[in-house]
Amino acid sequence: MSYLARRLALFVITLLLITVVTFLITLVLPGDVATMILGTRSDPATLAALREKLGLNQALIVQYGHWMGRALSGDLGVSLIFKEPIALLLGQKIAASTLLVVMSLIFALAAAVPLGVWSAVHRDRWQDTVGSGIALAGISLPDFFWGIVLILFVARWLDWLPASGYASPVENLPLALKYALLPSITLALSLMAHLTRMTRSAMLEVLGQDFVRVCRAKGLAWGAVIFRHALRNAVMPVLTVAGLQLGYLFGSIIVVESLFNFTGMGWLTYQALLNRDMPLVQATVLVIAAVVMMTNLVIDIVYTVLDPRVRLS
Amino acid sequence: MKRREFLQTSGLLMGGLAVGGLPGPAAAEDAPRRGGTLIWGHSETTQNLDIHQTGTASTLRLLQNVHDTIVTVDHSFKVLPNVAESFDVSQDLLTYTFRLRPGVKFHTGAAVTSADVVYSFERVKDPKTGAVNFDVFKDVAGIEAPDPGTVIVKMKQPFAPFLARLAELGAGAILPKDSGDIQGKAPVGCGPFKFVSREFGNKVELTGFADYWQGAPYLDGVLSHEVTEETVRLTGLQTGQFHLINDIPMDRVAKVKQDPKLQVLSWFPLCWDFLNFNHAKKPFDDPRVRKALDLMVDKDALMQGALWGQGVVTGSPSFPTSASYDANIKPRKQDFEAAAALLKEAGFGPGQLQFTFKVTTNYPYHVQAAQIMQAWFEQGGVKATTQQLTWADWLSQCWVHRDFEVTMMNFFTLWEPDFLYYTLWNSTGAFNYRNIKDSTIDDLTEKARRSTDPAGRAAIYKQVQQRIQDETHDVILWFRNGTVGARQNVGGLDRLVHPNGSNLMFRNVWLKA
Amino acid sequence: MRAILSPKGIIGGALVTVFALVAILAPYAIPANQATRINILARLHPPSAAHWLGTDQLGRELVWRVLLGAHTSLVIAVSAVVLSILIGLPIGVLAGYYRGWTDHALMRLVETLLSFPALLLALTISAVLGPSERNTILAIGIAFSPYLARIVRAETLRVIALPFIEAARSQGASDSRIVRLHVLPNIMAPLTVQATISVAFAILAEAGLSFLGLGTQPPTPSWGLMIQASRDYLDIAPWTALVPGVAIAVTVLGLNMLGDVLRDALDPTMAVEG
Repeated sequence: MSYLARRLALFVITLLLITVVTFLITLVLPGDVATMILGTRSDPATLAALREKLGLNQALIVQYGHWMGRALSGDLGVSLIFKEPIALLLGQKIAASTLLVVMSLIFALAAAVPLGVWSAVHRDRWQDTVGSGIALAGISLPDFFWGIVLILFVARWLDWLPASGYASPVENLPLALKYALLPSITLALSLMAHLTRMTRSAMLEVLGQDFVRVCRAKGLAWGAVIFRHALRNAVMPVLTVAGLQLGYLFGSIIVVESLFNFTGMGWLTYQALLNRDMPLVQATVLVIAAVVMMTNLVIDIVYTVLDPRVRLS
Repeated sequence: MKRREFLQTSGLLMGGLAVGGLPGPAAAEDAPRRGGTLIWGHSETTQNLDIHQTGTASTLRLLQNVHDTIVTVDHSFKVLPNVAESFDVSQDLLTYTFRLRPGVKFHTGAAVTSADVVYSFERVKDPKTGAVNFDVFKDVAGIEAPDPGTVIVKMKQPFAPFLARLAELGAGAILPKDSGDIQGKAPVGCGPFKFVSREFGNKVELTGFADYWQGAPYLDGVLSHEVTEETVRLTGLQTGQFHLINDIPMDRVAKVKQDPKLQVLSWFPLCWDFLNFNHAKKPFDDPRVRKALDLMVDKDALMQGALWGQGVVTGSPSFPTSASYDANIKPRKQDFEAAAALLKEAGFGPGQLQFTFKVTTNYPYHVQAAQIMQAWFEQGGVKATTQQLTWADWLSQCWVHRDFEVTMMNFFTLWEPDFLYYTLWNSTGAFNYRNIKDSTIDDLTEKARRSTDPAGRAAIYKQVQQRIQDETHDVILWFRNGTVGARQNVGGLDRLVHPNGSNLMFRNVWLKA
Repeated sequence: MRAILSPKGIIGGALVTVFALVAILAPYAIPANQATRINILARLHPPSAAHWLGTDQLGRELVWRVLLGAHTSLVIAVSAVVLSILIGLPIGVLAGYYRGWTDHALMRLVETLLSFPALLLALTISAVLGPSERNTILAIGIAFSPYLARIVRAETLRVIALPFIEAARSQGASDSRIVRLHVLPNIMAPLTVQATISVAFAILAEAGLSFLGLGTQPPTPSWGLMIQASRDYLDIAPWTALVPGVAIAVTVLGLNMLGDVLRDALDPTMAVEG
């Protein structure tokens, strides 16, 4: 288990590094939350008074120390501009974004696995061209443009779904799902494209292996071979990539959530940055980075458990 | 937009100036009806809900309905009694006596007393509060409460705008004693609606306050959905998701007006905009250069281009219904030859003047305006490079550090003339981010501030405006219209907008059956 | 070579060639002020004989803007990728070649940067240095460099395990000589593939940054800026979004197709996806 212990230690070190880099960024970012609160109503005296009150006059390193100390004891503090406890904000917004990300993952897998298998089985024929073509198109569209196209067609012209908005999954799940549908489809597109390509190549590799040939030689039906044997072996790398892409998804939500007015983690992070609300910036960036690394860690652990060779290498 | 529509839009503008407001086609006034919750599609995210600590127009727009001020103003900005049923101002402007109206209650059920007023005023005055309107109380020597119904404010020196500034929520709102700590999350006051809850970034719920001193509002409550994307907000109104939205997309106002299911309220000014030069950077210290750039801008075309006709070009930044507004100051007409001559005099041939034009993406129409002006500057042989800045960057670079050459900005609700002219154009003014140093303006604004004669003050401010125009300290561009769109079943729209042109008063509104 | 001459290779190559030609020639072929000429009386006109691809919210011709936008995209994307190679290549080679502590330290840094929201970086650079074309290049170049470093490291590890490296070492070749003569030439093929794909991603990134107002500055024609401006007019003027959107999609598609084909041809060791 020393492998896992080492991974965990690295995880903690990287998280610390992230807070340091975030701190450095806040150090060089011009402006502060006091100017944002006062806007064009700020004069030097009011600004100075507010900075004093918010503790912005202390050296940044001291502010960072305070933040870090409190954060380690589980207190993330209060958002300077919104006056809401950060822990509460994070709780609400993580739930919303998790719903979004999980939905996109489901959509992406549901489309990518059949498409990838279909392409692989019909390698180099028209079906493969179509499948690979869809996948290529998927990674070639910027998600904000694809989101705009969806708003245009599905919400405006067909009037099937709300163009944007947000409802709490805890309060009203059906409505929350409805609001999450378009943004999650938007997020799913490029993920679907990556997973289709991954499924195709994993399937091709498996289909070329001896045991598949043996199965066929033994007279097993081609469909049974594909689904019962080949796919089972191909699914592991696909899930790995899906997991790794979770992190990528958490990065993309910043733009997509803003586009759809979906007030989740990405939106919150963007608001925190735009308002120079440093405690909130620290907290949101830390959470996003932690989620990204945690998924990587979990995948590694699952791999270690399933595949003992990893531990040796 | 087709040319015909374009002309129609411009036609609609005329005639709004005198009233300062154009009620929509809600003229068929049914009798007000009680009951119902109004669903409002609000254009912005509300921030800190503490009325003393928040300066953003969006949050004030909401809190207008939760709080009430000690005095208020009418549309001509005459100060009127409000929570104080009467007030006396001594001749020397050094003593203000407020007598509180009996029977005014807070949402907590407690009566409003002089102790609450003293607490509220002291809280704004205390630098530790970080109050936005901190400066209003800077000449105050002491605040006393001789009995539960009387408050006396003593000044160190006359500060003419004091009483009028107390009509602003951020300075004059009355909070229950010792409620400061909870105001940021759960504001409580003596206004017509009680705050119920907020789901951050998403919605705010208000419920009618039955014991409001002017009588319970018609509405049972107001549910505000925060929808920042403007086309989405409009779609929500059109599909019936919202009863009312503020800020109709400017290019869509004409179209929405034709929708039989909807009514449009438009008024001006919501705010006014101006083009700025940094007087501390060469060559913008030279009035000839500033005037030359002014001469390259066709204000009417710019307003049509950037605001889609939803504004009124002006040369005076004074609130149009206020005494100091001067309709005689006319914006300069576009004249490239005169501009070239001035530039040549100042030592710049064609192509020799170059500068960076900073605009903030916080106001997308500023980005449009900058691009249009840039094209004219180019035509006039001047090369401008645009930089789009986020709001935080604009505030930090242009406002606080005064690091810019040319920029533009707008202001909401600076209807108090001292607040407007002293802070923006006096060389020591708090908002003088353009580094303007003009001793004539300094003398005039200082004189007006200490003057006890209202008519004399207005005359002085007209001189100030003329000076700004003559020296082209800034280029005043326009008053921008405010708009509210509503379903036909919303009544009382014509009394929705506060005299300050920005806040919305939902207690005057009802839902028809 | 067979792969390059496949239909995919031909289509991809053709799209990229057209893009490159448009991007390089547009500034010479189109008069400078055509793309910024404002006509308030002709705004949001749909595509027609008079306005080939329609006009935008300021009445500017989308056809000129989209063509000149190709130039903006190419300059920024290629420069950003070059920058990311300049940063990522040395880091990757050092980490892969020396392994041990150098590797650990460098990879920790790379991993930290990788789990960071890239937007944070872009906002910071834009806020500190001011938004401009040059700083867009910086932001994208820096954001991409950890990916480059990771790939270069993996490739370096693969190359130094090969027998001829051991042979060179035993002949007393210095580290720098081995890197120059053996490692670098052997990682060129995968690097070329990665660079092609990175250009595609950089075009998307430039569009994304400009979409947020942090990239190219108006009135310079940029596809992302065009889409950003179109947002408020989507329901009444959808062409303002579709024209630049299709331009991005087609260009990036071409680059991705070419990337795929190059990968098959140059670098059989790399998986199709990973």
